[in-house]
Amino acid sequence: MSNLTFNPVMQSPLHHFNLKTKQQHVDGSKGVWANEMPLLGYISLRGNAQNALFTKAAKKALGFALPILPCSLISTSWGCIYLLSPDEWLLVCDRELRTELQQKLEAALVGIHSQVIDNSGGFTTVFVQGKNASDVLHHCTVYDLNALTIGKVVGTTFGKTSVFLHQHNNGYKVIFRRSFADYIWRYLERSALPYDFGIANLGSS
Amino acid sequence: MFVINCPHCNEPREEEEFHYEGEAFIARPAEPETQTDAEWGDYLFMKKNPKGWHWEMWGHSAGCRKLFVVKRNTANHAIDGAWTLTEARAAYDAEMAKI
Repeated sequence: MSNLTFNPVMQSPLHHFNLKTKQQHVDGSKGVWANEMPLLGYISLRGNAQNALFTKAAKKALGFALPILPCSLISTSWGCIYLLSPDEWLLVCDRELRTELQQKLEAALVGIHSQVIDNSGGFTTVFVQGKNASDVLHHCTVYDLNALTIGKVVGTTFGKTSVFLHQHNNGYKVIFRRSFADYIWRYLERSALPYDFGIANLGSS
Repeated sequence: MFVINCPHCNEPREEEEFHYEGEAFIARPAEPETQTDAEWGDYLFMKKNPKGWHWEMWGHSAGCRKLFVVKRNTANHAIDGAWTLTEARAAYDAEMAKI
């Protein structure tokens, strides 16, 4: 038969757009700049925020207290913790850190009603910046971005799908499921046409 | 189109983010096996469907994905309030006791 060997390679869900080869240094020439922050680690943590045992154990494992105010997020030394729902947090970190983080959480939460899931294959993030970044996002979502203050993360619509949005470095991070990555990227590119769209070199950030 | 205040996200959001989940506080029969077909049918299909104030569940499907209760006027879409299921229960029971 064939001598093809199964040799899986890790690819970002926007791999087919070849964003790396198209990226440019960010300057004032375009209204909107965007690029994917590919292959991060995403860990979903669920538990009862009213349970002091749970919050204490999570704090011990993560080094930071979980945000508990509605729609809040905190930046940590290893990444970011988002409160997505009253009993659900999303931890975003470098991909290499995720196993260690997951193991620490699992060890700390033994015997406590909770759930830790590595969801790194399920999500990706796009960073949108530039002077017209909010104009473009206003075309895509029903959320009033003026209400999106720093330190706040909201789940809202994006075209016909849904995303999590928050402010980051004078721009916005859009976190979404990988299955909708193609749709969301094309939607974003199309919405940005009137403002001139560039693919940003995000460097190491 | 209207705006609903999600009690879990604690801020007003567009209707587009939500999904209607039907009438609130319909008690599922504790022992479905002992129900007659007519009783089971009533549980499944016989909704109040009023013209006026209606207690209903909505899900914040694009946001926190939680269910909560909205008291909405079906005639003019006025919204009296939105609460979590536990918070709304007492107010619902008090109102039903008056009828």
